[in-house]
Amino acid sequence: MNPLIFTTILMTVLLGTMIVMMSSHWLMIWIGFEMNLLAIIPILMKKYNPRTMEASTKYFLTQATASMLLMMAIIINLMHSGQWTITKVFNPTASIIMTSALAMKLGLTPFHFWVPEVTQGISLTSGLILLTWQKLAPMSILYQISPSINLNILLTMAVLSILVGGWGGLNQTQLRKIMAYSSIAHMGWMTAVLVYNPTLTMLNMLIYIMMTLTMFMLFIHSSSTTTLSLSHTWNKTPLTTTLILITLLSMGGLPPLSGFMPKWMIIQELTKNNSIILPTLMAIMALLNLYFYMRLTYSTSLTMFPSTNNMKMKWQFETKRITLLPPLIVMSSLLLPLTPMLSILD
Amino acid sequence: MMTYIVFILSVIFVVSFVGFSSKPSPIYGGLVLIVSGGVGCGIIMNFGGSFLGLMVFLIYLGGMLVVFGYTTAMATEQYPEVWVSNTTVMGVFLLGLLMEVMLVLYVLKSEEVGVVFKFSGVGDWAIYDTGDSGVFSEGIMGVAALYSYGAWVVIVTGWSLFVGVLVILEVTRGD
Repeated sequence: MNPLIFTTILMTVLLGTMIVMMSSHWLMIWIGFEMNLLAIIPILMKKYNPRTMEASTKYFLTQATASMLLMMAIIINLMHSGQWTITKVFNPTASIIMTSALAMKLGLTPFHFWVPEVTQGISLTSGLILLTWQKLAPMSILYQISPSINLNILLTMAVLSILVGGWGGLNQTQLRKIMAYSSIAHMGWMTAVLVYNPTLTMLNMLIYIMMTLTMFMLFIHSSSTTTLSLSHTWNKTPLTTTLILITLLSMGGLPPLSGFMPKWMIIQELTKNNSIILPTLMAIMALLNLYFYMRLTYSTSLTMFPSTNNMKMKWQFETKRITLLPPLIVMSSLLLPLTPMLSILD
Repeated sequence: MMTYIVFILSVIFVVSFVGFSSKPSPIYGGLVLIVSGGVGCGIIMNFGGSFLGLMVFLIYLGGMLVVFGYTTAMATEQYPEVWVSNTTVMGVFLLGLLMEVMLVLYVLKSEEVGVVFKFSGVGDWAIYDTGDSGVFSEGIMGVAALYSYGAWVVIVTGWSLFVGVLVILEVTRGD
């Protein structure tokens, strides 16, 4: 793509999310969502083949439906409150419709079907933008309307998302689909604590974005999109096998690594609010997630995956230099001791 | 009849929406879009929004739909699909009509057209006072306010439309 146009379109994606996050008028928020959607379509279609076209079409259709539902909720809110300011949504109908619309945008169950298919059909870099940046805008609106969200609906969607994210990822060998299911599960964790303590949602979002960014960059660095080609990284750059191990265990939520921090805080917050069965279920279902991360680390870092002999001397292009990778890896694995600093947040 | 004019117009509105949602060929979709645009204009005018209704006719029907009609006419096929040519299309159309008829009967039986459209008084169409002489309608003062207080909205919508054109060109250009 022409570099000038590509830059313009990328900046428009940024602008769309910024408008959503900083507007006080519901109509401007809707315009921000539409601008974001429109501008990310050519980014998803960077490589021009039928797979990306199909993925972009699926993404566009689901997000446009979600925007329409959002608009309907905005208008019902307008009819009953008479004003356009962003506050909690007082009318229950509007609140439920808005929650469903934002859940469709995030990829929560039962609206999760587009996430693996779209992530699989696009290139790794576009998938990175899709799974990290595109989650910021809907989550910021959920944060702003969090006092009025119907608890039953949100918690049902959250728990089902964690279940689907863990269960659905079990049968996958394609890395992009694994990351997509991991995204569904993490969104479930984030929305589960939204009604109780929205600050933890933001904390989880921050750490999730760091970890997903790290994983995708490691995949881009070794140009691998399947488990099989990831298992050949010991041959190309042995250091990245260790880094993949650490980051995947952090994503699974294991203790000395930073991925444990959001899960720990969320479980603590939920138990403080007298719900014990819910966080137990959530923690058990997170084990499913951990299982397929462990399978990836097993085939990549811990063993030499079976391959033919000529695959053992793998030819590759010159290594791409990814500048941000070392700080990202450090941040996505070593942040746990900083947990007491959470007391300075709100 | 005049008290129910909005109700009748809205029924025709929904029926024409059913007409193009049952997916005949785009040229016929454009035809019912004209009808729905005109009827929608009538609904808005009945609530006092004369400026907005004229905007629908001029910009929507007279600008956007005309361009849509020309591009569809260029890309049309030899035997375009009508509502009666394909069993599926006719089935969906009749299903939509049936649902609309049932809704109309429900509304008429409950003797209350207000259940369909609860309008909270005249507040939304009130006079927008700029402090100048006389009394102006909301629509025209809204446009004036758009270009003064609402400059940010103009910038954002203008940029969205511009990027829309860029995106469409990028997507259709391909490699």
